[in-house]
Order: sequence, then structure tokens, then C-alpha cells
Amino acid sequence: MDFECRIKKNEALKSGYRRIVFDAPEIAAKAQGGQFVHVRITPLRDRILRRPFSISNADPAAGELTVVYKVVGLGTAELARMRAGESCRVLGPLGNAYTAPTEETFPILAAGGYGTAALYLTAKNAPRKGILLLGARTKDDLILVEDFQKLGFEVRIATNDGSAGHKGFVTELLDGALTGQDRSRCMVYGCGPTPMLLALGKLTQEKQLAAELSLDQHMCCGVGACFACVVKIKDASSPDGWQYSRSCKEGPVYNATEVYYG
Amino acid sequence: MADLTTDLGRIRLKNPVMTASGTFGYGMEYDSFFPIAELGAVVVKGIAPWQSHGNPTPRVAEVTSGMLNAIGLQGPGIDKFLDDEHYMPFLRKSGATVIVNIWGKKIEDYAEVAARLDAESEGIAALEINVSCPNVKEGGLAFGTDPAMMGKVVSAVRAATKLPLITKLSPNVTKIADFAKSAEACGSDMISLINTIPAMAIDIETFRPKIANVTGGLSGPAVKPVAVRMVYEASRAVKIPVIGMGGIMSGEDAIEFFLAGASAIAVGTAIFADPLAPLKVRDGINAWLDRKGIASVREIIGAVKIG
Repeated sequence: MDFECRIKKNEALKSGYRRIVFDAPEIAAKAQGGQFVHVRITPLRDRILRRPFSISNADPAAGELTVVYKVVGLGTAELARMRAGESCRVLGPLGNAYTAPTEETFPILAAGGYGTAALYLTAKNAPRKGILLLGARTKDDLILVEDFQKLGFEVRIATNDGSAGHKGFVTELLDGALTGQDRSRCMVYGCGPTPMLLALGKLTQEKQLAAELSLDQHMCCGVGACFACVVKIKDASSPDGWQYSRSCKEGPVYNATEVYYG
Repeated sequence: MADLTTDLGRIRLKNPVMTASGTFGYGMEYDSFFPIAELGAVVVKGIAPWQSHGNPTPRVAEVTSGMLNAIGLQGPGIDKFLDDEHYMPFLRKSGATVIVNIWGKKIEDYAEVAARLDAESEGIAALEINVSCPNVKEGGLAFGTDPAMMGKVVSAVRAATKLPLITKLSPNVTKIADFAKSAEACGSDMISLINTIPAMAIDIETFRPKIANVTGGLSGPAVKPVAVRMVYEASRAVKIPVIGMGGIMSGEDAIEFFLAGASAIAVGTAIFADPLAPLKVRDGINAWLDRKGIASVREIIGAVKIG
């Protein structure tokens, strides 16, 4: 499950966002949308933990695994400096996956920031193409727009500062996406910052829409052993009404009905 | 191939590599990576009389050559641990040498868990008493930083079970030898050390602590020299076997602990970097012994030359 994977490509997208392609045939063969990989960034000598990344794309025929990342700290800064031909240990695919859309499903993808990256494989494999609702702080944080358009998804944008699309939150785009659709066939797939996902989860519950959310927390082992990355899910048997669930193992994808919003 | 078997009192381990409690879940999590029965022993995450949520998140932060954690002993509780197929029933089937780490808020809690495990002790090689967790408000470290209090916990557990007992010591004390002696005097069959070191990291952008619990336990290579020193001092103070741990990443790291006085060692944080770390440490110990022409790991326990 833990493979030494050669980097085939490591390229800049825009404003600190990058795309890395690993030669990872074993992982690419199994990867499903919503799963992640846990990467040991080779040049990090005095930093020992791995970094988790959502799987953005997997091409089993080419044996390629694609991750889209943003340079945010020491690990990603070192990863950005790595060149094609160098390699990292890549553990995966890990975690559960989004429920694959069927021919009947009208997929509504709701992404915050580079949450788009984690939705790409699900969008690619969806028999019926739907809508991507993409929210970001500002237009510089809108990534992969053309990639989703090429798949046949309509992209609707919201930015907090109004620099592109609707000025406001991505959740405010949901009603528009439902117009003219048979709601019983709509399925909302969410990925982004936790506050956005909790707002999206509550909204889909109110509207009685099927929805799955990709939640996470600071991660450590990636395989369910250390209990670092837990998120709250409902549990009627607990006196508090909730319990902690390991987002690396039972998650990262949770049905919106499972998530504890209190 | 050197002889890797080692003795912890009544228990003979097939090799001296154990897992540190809290870093290996309940064994099942790593079963898809390697047969966990290959380890000297599997030490499971702490078990209390009750199910517990643990601390709020974020629970971990990376620091130079290590990490902080404040998981806060999230766990299934003794009932679920004994009955649910993911815990003890799985461990029994795995064929692993199993050590159950136990904790509580009051002395009676420790005794209660020990008595329950004693009554269903099939497949359990020993109990490890956690009197050194820095991340829970009650119990844990409160017991582990006062030799007399610690002794009361050990005595109560001793009275509740015939299983071999390990007392896991905190490094957060001035004189570790006093704690080692107290554990020995109260009936502990061995001691293990070190638990994590209370520590803190702050995000300078947000001015907030990097973990929700404010402070957490430091582990990883950063703590190894502290751990080696404490194993050295503790092992010289007692006759019972010592299990050494703290930042072991390789076979060579483990050898230092044997030389300092450890009869066995545990791998912890290294597992997060590499799930196969415990087996690589075992193989590294063997390769070192072969290179040195030393027939058995037991020959180097406490063999550090002073003066």
C-alpha cells in the first residue's frame, strides 16, 4: 500500500497552486473519487510526518496519479521544489470514497477553494454531467475551472470579494442549481473548508437533498491508528448525541445526515 | 541471524520490538501492512472503564524532529474492548503478543479495568499502567509525578490481577529513579519509559496554540536523548526489566536503548512516517548484531561503558 512513486510532472497552475503527477500504477488502479494519499515528502529531513492530499485524478491505463496542492507550509514548499524523476513514498489510496453517481444521478458538486481538486475524479466518472458550484475568497483561488468545463460540467462561481461570479458564499448558488431539476435525482458532493461544508450540510438537510461531504482535520497516521483527525458524527447511543469518527478511516466522506452540526 | 529473543520477567518475547501505546491503534489498523504477530508485542491504546471522546481538535502538530499530540485518550472503554470484534477478539485471533494499556481517573478505575482484563485474560500477555499521560485533566500525569500516588495505583492494580504488570513512567519528573523504585516496590514486574514530554507550539500568524488542548506531549527523534538518559538512570535503580522508548526510528536508535539498560524497546511516532517502521527497526537490530558478531540482543542490555 506504501509505494515509492516517481514524479512525472510537477507544474504550477496559478497563484501558488500546483499539480503533481506520480507514476503510481497500483494506487491509480484502485483510486476512487474522494479518497486520498499520504505522502512522505522526501527532502523533508527534520520533519517526520506525512502530508495527506486528496486524489484529484487517477489514470489506471497510464498508471498516473494526480494531486493538486497549494504551497502553504514547509512540506508543500519542499514538494514544489521537487523535479520530475525524483520520488516520494506514497501511501494509498486511503479513506472511503464518494458514492459513485449513477446514470440517473444529476451531480451537483460544491467546492470551496481547492476542494475542486478532490471532486475531479468523481466528476470525470459521472455518467451524467452536472454543475460545479465553485466558491473562493477571490478570483485567484478559482482553480480547475476549465478542467471541469472540459468534462461537460457547467461551472457557476461565487467569490467572497465579488471579483468573479456571484458575490457571496457558494451555498447561495445551490437554489439556482436545482432549478428545473428532479430533486430526487440530485446528489450534492461537497469538499472545502469545514465551516462551508457544515453550512452546506445543514442546507441540504433542510432541502431534503442527498449530500455527501468530505471532512477532515489535522492528520497524522492516515490509517486510523492515532485518532488525530477525528470529526463529530451523530450517535444516539452517546449521552452527548455525538461521537468522534476518524476522518482518515471512516471518512473523509460522510453523508450529510451523519454529520453532527451542534 | 542473531538471537533476538528477550525476557521481560515471566514473558519471553520473540524479538525486542514492541509498539508504543497510542501509536498502533488496537492492532487491526496495521494488519493489512504486515502480520502483527511478527512484533515482539503489540501494546494497544489506553483502555478505561468507560468510552471516552478524548480532546477537541486539532490534536496534533508537527515540530522540528517530532510532533505534539493531545489526543486525550479517546477509546472504546473496557466493555467494547473485550466484546467488539475490532478489539480483543481480533487481537486473540491475530496470534500477537498483546499488552493492554490501562488508565483511569481514580485509583479504583485502574483496579476495575485490571480486574476485568484478569477475568478474561486469554491472549493478554501483560498490562501496562498509564500513569503518565500528559493530556488528560484527571488521572494520568497527576498519578505519575508523585512516587507515593503512583505506588498506590500500582498496588491497587497488583491486587486486582495476576497478569504481569508494566508501569509506564513520565519523563516529567526530577528524579526518575524514585519512580522506578516505587513501581518495583509496589509489585510492578517491569517499567516502560518514556511517555511524551509536556510541550507547546504556537501559530505566530493567529497567536493561537497549534493544538486545541494548548499543551501536548512531545514525541519523535527530538526526545530520544532524554529517553536514553532516563532509561539509563531508571535501569540502574531497579532489578526489574526496563522497556525503552522515545524517538526510535531505526535499529541503531534501538541499540542505544539496549546499551542504556532496556531489555526491550517500543517504536511509536516512527510508525506514522512508515507503517513498516517496527519491522525495519527489528531487522536493523539484527543487522547491527550480525555486523558486530554478537550472538544475542540480551548480551548488550546495559552494556554501556562508563568511565
